[in-house]
Amino acid sequence: MKSVLTVSEITKQIKQVLETGFENISIIGELSGFKAHVSGHWYFNLKDANAIIACTMWKGVNNYVFFTPQDGMKVVITGKITVYPPRGNYQVDVRSMKPSGVGELQQAFELLKQKLSAEGLFDLQKKKPVKAFNKKIGIITAIDGAAFQDMKSVAERRFPLVEIFICPTKVQGAGAAENIVENIRELNKFKDLDVIILARGGGSIEDLWAFNEEIVARAIYASKVPIVTGVGHEIDFTIADFAADRRAPTPSAAMEMLTPDKDEFISYIREFDDTVYDRMKKILKAKKEKVDNSIYSYGFRTPEGILKRNSQLIDNLVYRIMQCADRAILHKNNRLALLTKSLESHDLQRTLKKGFVLVKQDSKFIVRSEDFNKSIPASIKFYDGDLKIKISE
Amino acid sequence: MKKKNINTFEIELSRLQEISSLLDNDELELEKALSLYEEGIELSRSCLSTLKDAEIKITEIKKKLDDLKTEDEELFED
Repeated sequence: MKSVLTVSEITKQIKQVLETGFENISIIGELSGFKAHVSGHWYFNLKDANAIIACTMWKGVNNYVFFTPQDGMKVVITGKITVYPPRGNYQVDVRSMKPSGVGELQQAFELLKQKLSAEGLFDLQKKKPVKAFNKKIGIITAIDGAAFQDMKSVAERRFPLVEIFICPTKVQGAGAAENIVENIRELNKFKDLDVIILARGGGSIEDLWAFNEEIVARAIYASKVPIVTGVGHEIDFTIADFAADRRAPTPSAAMEMLTPDKDEFISYIREFDDTVYDRMKKILKAKKEKVDNSIYSYGFRTPEGILKRNSQLIDNLVYRIMQCADRAILHKNNRLALLTKSLESHDLQRTLKKGFVLVKQDSKFIVRSEDFNKSIPASIKFYDGDLKIKISE
Repeated sequence: MKKKNINTFEIELSRLQEISSLLDNDELELEKALSLYEEGIELSRSCLSTLKDAEIKITEIKKKLDDLKTEDEELFED
């Protein structure tokens, strides 16, 4: 070995030793000074109580990390040591990063929750109203997932008139959070959407982690269209749930919350049929009563009275006419008798005027001479009067 | 037959509700009541058949990556 080396020479040797000696190492430590550069590369330190080590994670590999690293988070990284001669430093070229345990994610969750809560992202008064009857519903979820199928069948069962706009989305693993954010923005371009459902079926905390990312919470908060979350199972709470305008325990429950029940409309319509029928009957009855009242009112009753009175009058008249007729007949009969008599007497008078007389004895007309009694008085009837005579021999 | 959409349904349903409350008045003229009744029955038939024949409409949104960049800024700047 040469006794004097150049800086480059010694650095080259160190690089060789370190890079071959630490080709595949796993380190546990706490994240600090985390920076995601615009280029897409990550720069951070990993530390413990007594030591610190610089790390880089390149764009091509860091998109496989399902969570966004935060300072203070305890992680396990895997990678290799690389030496950077221009700076004379070494660092870990990280291939993969995992939280050291579920507790770490939980902690990250709590930290983010506190931070966003303090910023007012979860304020109730900032929440947009969510209607129960939505006509156009946007959905952000995996198009081939069970969650979407569940929501679809709930919509079909409850209210098949609803229109669904599905934005196929990656909801798990690296890049899921970014994809969710993109699609929230995408659906916000549809001005007439009533609501957006952000959903995912059940899974582990790692599976659901995209919904605990800060960028997702901010995109939900910024959305002009109300957002309802239905992530995981009933027991799962995500940051997205807190930021959302409304949380549903599951994807199906979200769809249920946002669609009216077809059967309720059907029974409403059936009830309408019945009640309007009854109302029509009532109205008709009321009208009938009105007409009846009018018919039996004084105004309408009078003609009948008039009629009755008139018919009485007519009866009277008829009676009187009948009476008159009777009397007239009687009168006529009398007159006939009288006339007959006078006719008869006229005949007699005419005969008497010609010079004949009627001889009466004992109030009997004497027709034959042999019936005449010379010893008693007789009366002779001339046309102009009677004359008493007595025969004296 | 062209399927009726949700807006038609909504309009018809709200008219149905209107008719229902209009008919709640016994003083209504008979002619008017009868024509409302006829209209209501017609609407109720139509609403029922709309619900019965309805098929869910699903549109898949395919993002155009080009216009994402520009719209991002304006939508989320405020």
